[in-house]
Amino acid sequence: MPAMHWTDAIVEGLRTHEVWTVPYVPDAAGWQVVSKLEADPAFTTVPSTREEEAVGIASGVYAAGGRAAVFMQSSGFGNTINALAQLCIVNRISVPLFIGMRGGLGEFNAAQIPPAQAVVPILDTLGIPHYAPEREEDVPNVVDGALRLCYAGRAPVAVLLYSSLVGAKRAT
Amino acid sequence: MRREEGVRALLDRVTDEPIIANLGPATADLFAAGDRDANLYSFGGMGLVSSIGLGVAMTAPERKVYVTDGDGSLLMNLGSLATIARMRPPNLVLIVWDNHQWAETGGQPTHTATGTDLAGIASAAGIPRVAAVSTLEAFEEALDQAAHEDGPWCIVADVEERGRPARPILDIEANLLRFRRTFEA
Ligand SMILES: Cc1ncc(C[n+]2csc(CCOP(=O)(O)OP(=O)(O)O)c2C)c(N)n1
Repeated sequence: MPAMHWTDAIVEGLRTHEVWTVPYVPDAAGWQVVSKLEADPAFTTVPSTREEEAVGIASGVYAAGGRAAVFMQSSGFGNTINALAQLCIVNRISVPLFIGMRGGLGEFNAAQIPPAQAVVPILDTLGIPHYAPEREEDVPNVVDGALRLCYAGRAPVAVLLYSSLVGAKRAT
Repeated sequence: MRREEGVRALLDRVTDEPIIANLGPATADLFAAGDRDANLYSFGGMGLVSSIGLGVAMTAPERKVYVTDGDGSLLMNLGSLATIARMRPPNLVLIVWDNHQWAETGGQPTHTATGTDLAGIASAAGIPRVAAVSTLEAFEEALDQAAHEDGPWCIVADVEERGRPARPILDIEANLLRFRRTFEA
């Protein structure tokens, strides 16, 4: 049986774990998932002006007893540090982060490289676990495991979506 | 009006409705005026209480949700006004204690001291119900309207800064869990 498409595996993982609210700042990789969530009446997406704001909204959902995951691009991850460090970690708030990783294989835009290289060191410095499914068949287990860990640990967890999985964006 | 009078007026009007307070004076005044399970205090995350309030309001649409923000903090996250306008949660009431300063860090004048109009920005962002008040009576009138009429609301209250009570010492994780439990019923 062919593996489920990686986007469907994420959608189904979110559904299984009842993560119904999805604040996001768009990027080409994450949009492949978020566009499916927007078309699915079970989910509510929240277009956000800034990644930090999206983490704040997701924290509010969790504070009220719900679950929300944030989708963003590696270039915007740095914008979330105040929210992650001073809100989620201090208050012990579960927020799964799905980060579309630019700046690697096939990158055409030099401006994407430095912020992408900073993502993993920042996550490590903050003590936020991160996982990167490489192959399509890994996605269901990685997403399921990351969501379980996130809600058990009452802290943020990141899933990194690299171009090897999601395809490199081409210059236009 | 003073911020602590505004906090008391709000507490007089709520039963189990959530109140999410900004770091510094907004949290200290709320804790001093009336600690309750549905209070979520802040000790960091500057700028984010309006976003937290949006998330709470979307998740608990059956309750009015109050946020007490600071002018400096809202200025740090102005995009939040546009997102609140876009999502349009009818149950969200964003109150700004506008003391025209970053009080917590020593009272430096913020941009509302030099002409920036937060109520005007909220209106221009598309928030449907906006009130700018400078007396306790006008604030209470706006609160009574907001309690009964759909929003989202943004009430910018011009407050005179007179200092704040001691910073509450409490278990931050326990505060979050206690707040979260009020939604389980
Ligand atoms: C991200 C971040 N930047 C700066 C600070 C330092 N800081 C703490 S409180 C504060 C002022 C907040 O001003 P305002 O929202 O107007 O509230 P007030 O203290 O006047 O009640 C600042 C700048 C911080 N805690 N976090």
